[in-house]
Amino acid sequence: MLENSIFLILAIFLIGGGLTMVWSRETIISAFGFFVAMLAMAGVFALLGNSFLFLAQIMVSVGAVVVLSMMVITAINLKEENLPDEPNKLRWIFFTALIVTPFSLLMYRTLVSVHQNFAHTSEGYGSLKVLGEALFKDWVLSFEVISVLLLAAMVGAVVIARKELSDGA
Amino acid sequence: MTTGAIVVAIISFVLGALLALMMIPILVWLERRGAGLVQDRLGPNRTNIFGFRLGGVVQSFADVVKLVLKEEYYPSHISKHRWLFMLVPSITFVAALLAFMVIPFADNVVIGGESLRIQPLPVDFGVLWFMAIGAIGVVGIMLGGWLSHNKYALMGSTRAGSMMIGYELPLGLAIVSFIITYNTIDFNAMVAWQSGTVLGFLPAWGILVQPLGAIILIVALFAETNRNPFSVSEGESEIVAGYMTEYTAMKFAIYFMGEYVAMNTASAVIITMVFGGYQLPWVGTVDLVTHFNAFALAIMAVLPIGILFFIRWMQKNNSLRPSVRSDGSREYEAKVFTYVLIAMTLIVEAILIYLILSPEAFLSRTIAVTLLQIAIFVFKLMLFNLFFILVRWTLPRFRYDQVQHLGWYYLLPLSLLNLFVTAIIVVGVG
Repeated sequence: MLENSIFLILAIFLIGGGLTMVWSRETIISAFGFFVAMLAMAGVFALLGNSFLFLAQIMVSVGAVVVLSMMVITAINLKEENLPDEPNKLRWIFFTALIVTPFSLLMYRTLVSVHQNFAHTSEGYGSLKVLGEALFKDWVLSFEVISVLLLAAMVGAVVIARKELSDGA
Repeated sequence: MTTGAIVVAIISFVLGALLALMMIPILVWLERRGAGLVQDRLGPNRTNIFGFRLGGVVQSFADVVKLVLKEEYYPSHISKHRWLFMLVPSITFVAALLAFMVIPFADNVVIGGESLRIQPLPVDFGVLWFMAIGAIGVVGIMLGGWLSHNKYALMGSTRAGSMMIGYELPLGLAIVSFIITYNTIDFNAMVAWQSGTVLGFLPAWGILVQPLGAIILIVALFAETNRNPFSVSEGESEIVAGYMTEYTAMKFAIYFMGEYVAMNTASAVIITMVFGGYQLPWVGTVDLVTHFNAFALAIMAVLPIGILFFIRWMQKNNSLRPSVRSDGSREYEAKVFTYVLIAMTLIVEAILIYLILSPEAFLSRTIAVTLLQIAIFVFKLMLFNLFFILVRWTLPRFRYDQVQHLGWYYLLPLSLLNLFVTAIIVVGVG
């Protein structure tokens, strides 16, 4: 019962924060909604007893993603005329919704069927030790491939940023 | 949970809250008296309650009363989002307060076969908790500066954000090298590792095992707490007061107090990770419990001498110049404190004599050792806070580009190098 009520509160904050982020016309309220949603997400992980995901969520999403996006918003001083104009906005939204509908149905089906048979977690679920062993024993190849991919993305970002700088100067 | 576990949990929680919150007035007082010391003047020393000045600590409480009663002033353009404007200082304050809650104040106590942590939040991932929760604080600063709709506030908040990004990386890499060395992410296990010796005679403190990592950790934590010489986000000679410019009364005070809580947290993390935490050098918890009588006798011998010197120092200094006519209140205060100190010394001596004479009382000895470790922790915490304060009043502020240059060009490569060398040595030795 207590878990359910905590989950309910966290879910209200999560969905409310997400909707605020998308719908608010003022950037600062959007940023605050993003922050609240990320914290509530971390709270959901904590409720599941997964300490690593809880900490990683706060460290990565709040400490890095929220702060960086706020930095970008305050630094670039975006104006109305800098935005691209979208002439057929409603038509785009309509056809995208049409394409996405089957996937949404699939998603709905999955959620309904998952609800009936949850996987049973093993001993030590969520602890750092189990996660580290799984990453470096069973999934070491994918782990390394992903890290190389991220490194390549970072180098690419630096190269693109430098090119822009030399063009502007 | 047994009764012992509940009692220990409540006591460590209360202790953590007291150490974090009651430290604020003391640190504010220490900062002003420290500034006075450096600048060859006295600092606040006259505010009193019935003649009790406590060396001037009462001034901090007077300041809090003034700030609470002060008129709330809002700039007229902050009308729509006033609730958010009022809310964000507490994000910074609460983040600093929560980050403090994973510091161990003493070694685990074994009561009835159950090992209990003297830690307000008894978790075994303290380092990650500190890094995660500590990173939230800057969100409060950025939102506050942004909401103020003021160019100085906005510049202050962007400075705080970019500095946090620049110094979080060296800090994280330095902490990772410590995690590799100690082979744990638990603060208490880190302190236990540091109670041994290295090279046979030096205490195995982080600053001696990992000197470069320790220096990077200390510098990066100075920057994270926005203290001088890194206080560019509130540099009053350039951008008024930075992100706090539009904040008045208690809202300003919450930012201000959050800064002191963050400084206290940073001190606690530094002494836990690199200065042996609550341990005496060369002496582990097991040694303290087994050779309890020797340590108790040493304390019994040293304590009265120390108290005697303190009382003489207090009586000499707690007086007015001869030319000023005294109303006797300072003499009265000195007299009361002399009696209180003598009574406390006698009580401590009596307890120690009782513990020495009853060799069976294992549990009470464990509790006595725990209290001793808490005292050592508080002593080290105060020393390091004093170091923070002296650095602030000794060094000039860096220019903003110098701060960024130091972070990205020196600390980040050095911490990467330190990480590689540490990993090679640990793998090679292991």
